[in-house]
Amino acid sequence: MGIKAAHWLGVVTLAIMTAAIFMVFVYVPTEAQQGNVQRIFYFHVPCAWAAFAAFALVAISGVFYLWFGHQVWDDLGCAAAEVGMLFCTLVLITGSIWAKPIWGTWWTWDSRLTTTLVLWLLYAGYLTLRAMADEVSQVGRLAAVVGIVAAADVPVIIVSVRLWRTIHPAVIVTRQGSHGLEDPRMIATLLVSLAAFTVLSAWLLMLRFATLRAAARLTNLGRQLALTEAEMADRSAQHVMSSRR
Amino acid sequence: MSGFTTILRKDLRLELRSGESTITLVFLSLLILTVLTFALNAPGGDAATAAGALWVAMIFAGTMGATRALIAEWENGCIRGLLLSPAERSAIYCAKLVASFVFMAVAELAAMVLMVLFYNLDFGIRLVRLSPILAMGALGFAALATLLATIQVRIRGGDLLLPLLIVPVFVPALIAGVKASNAALAGLRFDAFAQWLKILAACDILFLAGGYLLFEHVISED
Repeated sequence: MGIKAAHWLGVVTLAIMTAAIFMVFVYVPTEAQQGNVQRIFYFHVPCAWAAFAAFALVAISGVFYLWFGHQVWDDLGCAAAEVGMLFCTLVLITGSIWAKPIWGTWWTWDSRLTTTLVLWLLYAGYLTLRAMADEVSQVGRLAAVVGIVAAADVPVIIVSVRLWRTIHPAVIVTRQGSHGLEDPRMIATLLVSLAAFTVLSAWLLMLRFATLRAAARLTNLGRQLALTEAEMADRSAQHVMSSRR
Repeated sequence: MSGFTTILRKDLRLELRSGESTITLVFLSLLILTVLTFALNAPGGDAATAAGALWVAMIFAGTMGATRALIAEWENGCIRGLLLSPAERSAIYCAKLVASFVFMAVAELAAMVLMVLFYNLDFGIRLVRLSPILAMGALGFAALATLLATIQVRIRGGDLLLPLLIVPVFVPALIAGVKASNAALAGLRFDAFAQWLKILAACDILFLAGGYLLFEHVISED
């Protein structure tokens, strides 16, 4: 997966993202109850989608890495985790910016926020493991195992947190379920924004993945070079030995 | 599973002689319960605080002390012997898991007694209802910790990483466990908090299955 393909995807990303930004700030009408702050919703939701999708990708590439053992899957998992962490952070930040004027508080233990926070912590654990285990030979396998356990846990987290919040009296009533988008322009804007963020995350993923693949190839070349040099040194030593006789 | 009973007996016998895991866990639990009393500024609080304090003690004492049996293998250079032996990897996992669970269960028992004393509760049927909840929590935690401790021991500074790996994954079990514990200490019967028990059981199954299947990928002698 070369850098060239990534460049094309970058161009596509720029086009769709420009369209999305135009739609969010110009095209879509202002929401009746929340005012202009509501526009952040069109960035907040696609970031959440990207964060969860990237996490699924981390788990799937982990499974394939353990199964097939090819470094490609490990690189994909690593790239996906970094991209996912970025969007997960953005979800929490955009959510807080939205929450403050609407709910009057930066944070609340609503089920969706709590689940996203736990997801963020799972990402943090995964990436910290990668960072700390850099010199360990089998860092890919360790990371894959952590990714798989974390991803398998996510559905249980969602269920338990939701149950936890519905039984607790809600301090702040939030809109569960549908987002209550009445105007078809809002739905169109959301879809375009979703497409824009999907392409953006795919582009970032591809860039990071290409970098990791290049690094892997470089390491392999380095190893081959070292082997060849050792071979040559060995041969020349043998030559010297035999010519002395 | 070949090797399971042998390894388990060895670890339990070692623990009976030295008591390092269990006694440390008990003292850590006592420490955490005391610190929480000061921190929450609620001396002699209520049943809800008591259950929460107990679970905090379980998690953090467990993170620090539950996996000594496993980590000691690396420190003593025994891991190579274990891996070269005919014992299956899954047998090693199960033996270490059960050993950790036993240590945690003993510590939990002690912590439960401390909790009753500190929070002025009663020794009675409520504690009987509380025990299986704590046992399920300890089992799930031991399953997770045994799997992730093998990662911790292979990384420099891994003991800082272990809480960051365990705690987020353990969150659903923590939520369900505390809710069920609250209900049990409030005197409710099992059917009142059955849904939380189901979640706790689901977590246990997930952690046990995950650990059993994935252990062979993380265990190595270096």
